[in-house]
Amino acid sequence: MNTGEKTSVLILDDEAIVLKRLKPALEKAGYKVETFTESADALDRMKEKDFEIVITDLKMEGIDGMQFLTHVKERFPATEVIVITGFATMETAKESFQKGVFDFLAKPFKLGEIIDTVKKAEKKIYEK
Amino acid sequence: MVRKMRNFARKLFGHKRVTGKDLSFTALFAKFQKILELNNQVLELMADMGDKLGGDYIFDRQYILSSCQRISDLVNKLIYNLNSLAPKKYTELNEVFRRINTEIEEELAGRLVISHTAYIMRYELITRDFSDVVGGKNANIAELKNQLGLDTPDGFAITTRAYQTFLEHNNLAEKIAEITKAWSEKEVSGNKASADIQSLILAGTMPNKVRKAVERALLHLQEATGNKRLYLAIRSSAWGEDSEHTFAGQYLSLLNQPQANVPNCYKEVLASTYSVSAMEYRQEKGFLEQEVAMAVACQNMIDASKSGVLYTLDPLHPERDVLLITATWGLGAPVVSGKVRADQYTLSRNYPHELTTLDIVRKTERLVPKKGGGCETLPIPHDLQMRSCLSDEEVKQIAETGLMIEKYFKKPQDIEWAFDQNRRLIILQTRQLNVRGAFARMVEDISSAVTGYPVIFAHKGVIAQNGIATGKVFMVRDDKDLDRFPQGAILVARRTSPRFARVMRKANGIITDIGSPTSHMSTIAREFKVPTIVNTEIATECLKPGQLITLDAEDNVVYVGIVKELLYYHFAEEAFEETYEYRLLRRLLKKIAPLNLVDPVGSNFVPKACKTFHDITRFIHEKAVEELMELNYYSHRDSDTPGRKLKSDIPLDLIIIDIGEGLAKETDSKIVRPEQIVSRPMYAFLSGLNMPGFWNSDPMSVDFGSFMSSLTRTFSSNLASPKFIGQNLAVISKTYANISLRLGYHFNMIDSYISENINDNYAYFRFLGGVTDQVRRSRRVEFIAQILEKNDFRVDLHGDLVVARVKKLVPEAMQKKVHTIGQLVAFTRQLDVQMNSDQQIERFVIEFDRLTQQSNIVNELEGTT
Repeated sequence: MNTGEKTSVLILDDEAIVLKRLKPALEKAGYKVETFTESADALDRMKEKDFEIVITDLKMEGIDGMQFLTHVKERFPATEVIVITGFATMETAKESFQKGVFDFLAKPFKLGEIIDTVKKAEKKIYEK
Repeated sequence: MVRKMRNFARKLFGHKRVTGKDLSFTALFAKFQKILELNNQVLELMADMGDKLGGDYIFDRQYILSSCQRISDLVNKLIYNLNSLAPKKYTELNEVFRRINTEIEEELAGRLVISHTAYIMRYELITRDFSDVVGGKNANIAELKNQLGLDTPDGFAITTRAYQTFLEHNNLAEKIAEITKAWSEKEVSGNKASADIQSLILAGTMPNKVRKAVERALLHLQEATGNKRLYLAIRSSAWGEDSEHTFAGQYLSLLNQPQANVPNCYKEVLASTYSVSAMEYRQEKGFLEQEVAMAVACQNMIDASKSGVLYTLDPLHPERDVLLITATWGLGAPVVSGKVRADQYTLSRNYPHELTTLDIVRKTERLVPKKGGGCETLPIPHDLQMRSCLSDEEVKQIAETGLMIEKYFKKPQDIEWAFDQNRRLIILQTRQLNVRGAFARMVEDISSAVTGYPVIFAHKGVIAQNGIATGKVFMVRDDKDLDRFPQGAILVARRTSPRFARVMRKANGIITDIGSPTSHMSTIAREFKVPTIVNTEIATECLKPGQLITLDAEDNVVYVGIVKELLYYHFAEEAFEETYEYRLLRRLLKKIAPLNLVDPVGSNFVPKACKTFHDITRFIHEKAVEELMELNYYSHRDSDTPGRKLKSDIPLDLIIIDIGEGLAKETDSKIVRPEQIVSRPMYAFLSGLNMPGFWNSDPMSVDFGSFMSSLTRTFSSNLASPKFIGQNLAVISKTYANISLRLGYHFNMIDSYISENINDNYAYFRFLGGVTDQVRRSRRVEFIAQILEKNDFRVDLHGDLVVARVKKLVPEAMQKKVHTIGQLVAFTRQLDVQMNSDQQIERFVIEFDRLTQQSNIVNELEGTT
C-alpha cells in the first residue's frame, strides 16, 4: 500500500499490557498507533482525528466496549473496528458483527493473527 | 472425543444408581474415565499456559486469572473423583491442594509469595527462575557462570526467604510497615523513618536456622575454593533489582569481610534496604513496600589487579555505536562510585572492536584488600601511574565478553569486571543499562527506517529463538568450519546440528535451511538466547559468505547490511520478559507445572510430596489406574468384570478388564491369551505392539542391530524389571479399548472405539515423557509426532506432551491406525535413553518405516493382516 500516509490505528483496552505489546508490533508493521485505556479519552481523540482502524476490547472495567464500538460505528461508519476479547461467546460475536465490526479475535491471540487482521481491514478500506 | 467417551460409557452401562462402596464397576469405570478426561484437560491447559510465555501471544491479566481458576477447578474435581473411587484413602490431597491453591490466590491478589525454598542457595544451583528467591544480582551472576561459562566469583545467595524469616524472628514486619506508612503519609521525615527502621534491623538477631545454613554454605565454599580462611564480598541482591529497575548504588556492598563477620554484614546489607535514597527510589518507581524482599550475595573476594566498568553502549549517545570501558588499578569500587578518575577506552561495537579513543589519566591511589579484612587505599607506584591499565588484548577480551552478555540478556549491559592476580577476567556483576529514553528518540519511526534496507528473504522458516542479530555470514559445512568460526558471525548451515553448541557463545545468530524449533540445536540456541531461524529452505543459497546481514528473528526477515535501527528499537522496547504479566504468569506456573513426582515406586510418591498441580494430577492418575486394578484383578470384587492378566511374549504386565464381549467366550478366569481378544481396538493395538522388531525383544536385522546393540544390551534387562514396566491396564469391550500403559517412565494412554458405524469411530493417543533431559525429550517428541503425522493423525505438541487424534474412518483403516499406535508404543519404550543426537530422529523414522514394511511383507506372505 503506497499512499504516503500511514494507516492510523486506535487501540482501546483497559489492560496496559495489551497496549504495551500491540503498539510496537503494529508500529513495526508500518502503522501509526495511538493507545487508550479509557473509552472517554478514546472518543475525545476520535473527535479530533480520523482513525482508519479501531481495535477495542469488549469487556473492560467501568467501560462497556459494546457501547463504545456502537458509538464508533455510528459516528464514523468508515472506520473498521476489530474486537479483541477474553470473553468470546457466540452472542457477543454475533452482536458485534451485527453492529458492523470487521473481525472478532478471542484473547489470547498471536501477534501474527492481529497483524493479519489489521492488514485485511486496511485492504478493505483502500479497496473502497 | 471426551464427550463421546462418556456417552459411550453411558450407552454401555445405562444409569445405575449406586452408593458408597457398593459402586458397581460401571460406576467405577465412569469415575475412572472422568479422571482420565480431567487429567487430559489439566495437562493441556498447563501446556497452553506455558506456551503463552513464548512471546508469540498477547495475553492479559484476565487470561491469567481465568486460566488459574480453571486449572484449580479441574484439579479439585480430580481429587473429588479419586476420593469417590477410593474413599478416605487419599484425604491428604485436599490439604495439599488447599496449600497450593492459596499460594496461587495470594499471587493473584498481588502478594509476593516466597516459595518454601532454602535459606541459602549455592551459585551452582541458581538459574534465573530463582530470581524471586535470590534477587537479580545473584541470579544474573549465576547465569553467567552456569549458562555462559564465564568466570565469576564463587559464592552463594542468602535468599529472600531468609529475609522474611529474619523479619518474623525479630517481629519486624509490622513495625516497619507502620513506620513506612507514617513516612508515606508525611507524618515523619524520611531521615527519621530510615534511621528508625535501620536501627530495628541492626538490633535484630539472625535466626538460628539461617545462621546454621550460612555456616554450612561457608564450609562448602571453603572446600570449593580450597581456602580455609575466607574473605567475602557481601552485597545486596534485592528482589527486582538488576532487572527493569536497577537500583544502581541504592544498596550496600561490603568488601573483603572475614567469614566471622557474615551475620553482622548481613544485617547491615538488609538495613541498607531502608536508606532514605532507596526508600524514595522505590516510592518514585511505584514499588510496593511488600515487594521489598532482600536477598544477599556472599561472594569469594576477588583480589583484583585491575578493575572497572564496561557499558556495552554509550547511554548518552547510543548512536555512536561504541563500547565504553573505564579501568583502574586495584579494586573497582572507587570507579563504580565515581570517586576517582580512571582510564577510559572507547571502542567499536563491531568486531574486531577498533579503539576509537583512549584517555589515560594519572592514577595515584588504588583500593586493595587489607590483610585481616576490609580495604585500604595505597599509593600507586610512580611507573604505573600514567600507564594504561589494560593491554589491547585485555580490552578486546572485555569487549567480547560484554557483548556476549548483552546478547544473552538482550539489552545493553552495565558490567563490573576485574582481572585477578592470575590475569583471569572475572565478571563481578551485570545489570541492564538504562538507555531507553535515548533510543525512543532515535527510532521514532521504525517501519520507515527499516524500509531503506533491502530484504534478502522474509517469512521463510520458523523462529526458534527470537531477537535481533547482526554480523557477517559464516557458512558451516563441517567440523573444520566450526574450528574457524569467527566471533560475532552469523552461522548459516544446511541443517541444524547439536555440534553447533561449540560455537554458540561466538555466534550472533543462526540460520539453517532445514531443521525444527524443537531440535537439540534450537534448544541450545534458546539456552544461549542466540536469535535463530530454522527451516528457511533457501538460506545457504541466498546468503554469501562474508556478507553483512541483519537477522530479525522477531518478524522473521533477513536484511542486507546492519539495520542499526532495528537493534536499537528492540533495546528500547520493554522486554516481554520484564512485564508484570509475564513475571506473574511465570511465578504462577512454578506452582502449577513442574513435575516432582516422577517415580511411582519411589518413597516420595505420596500426597505430601506434591508441590504443584502437576504433581497432584500425576499422583491421581497413577492411583486411579492402581485402584481400578486392585478392585478388579487383585480382589475380584466384581464377578461380572474380573480382571485378567494378559499372557504375552513381551514382558508387558497388563491387566485386562472386559466390560462387554471384549474376550472370546471360553476365556479362563485368570489369564488371557492374545488370540482370545476379540475387542477390535485392543486386538489392533496388541498386534502392533507385538510386531517383530518393535519391542526389540526379537533378533535384530543386521544394520539396526549393530546400531542398537550396545543399547539393548545395557537397557533391555533393566527395562524388563517390574519396576520399569509398571502397572498397566486395559478396559475393553467388543468395540472399545481404554489402555493405560506406563513403560519406563513414559505414560501412554490410548482410547479407541471401532465399530461399523464410521461416524462413531475414533482413536486417541496421548504420550507423556518422563525424566530425561529436555533435549532428549524434545527429540523423542519430534520423532513421535513425525510418525503420527505420516499416518494422518492430527497431532498437538505441548512441550513434553503429545496428543494425537484420528476419527471417522472405516473399521479396517481405524484398526490400522491403532495398530500403528501399538508399534509406536513398543518402539518408543526404549527411546529416551538413545536420543543423543538429532540425526537419530531421522534414522529412527526410517527404521520405523523399514520395520513396518518388513512386517507387512511377512504378514502378507502369511496372510495374517
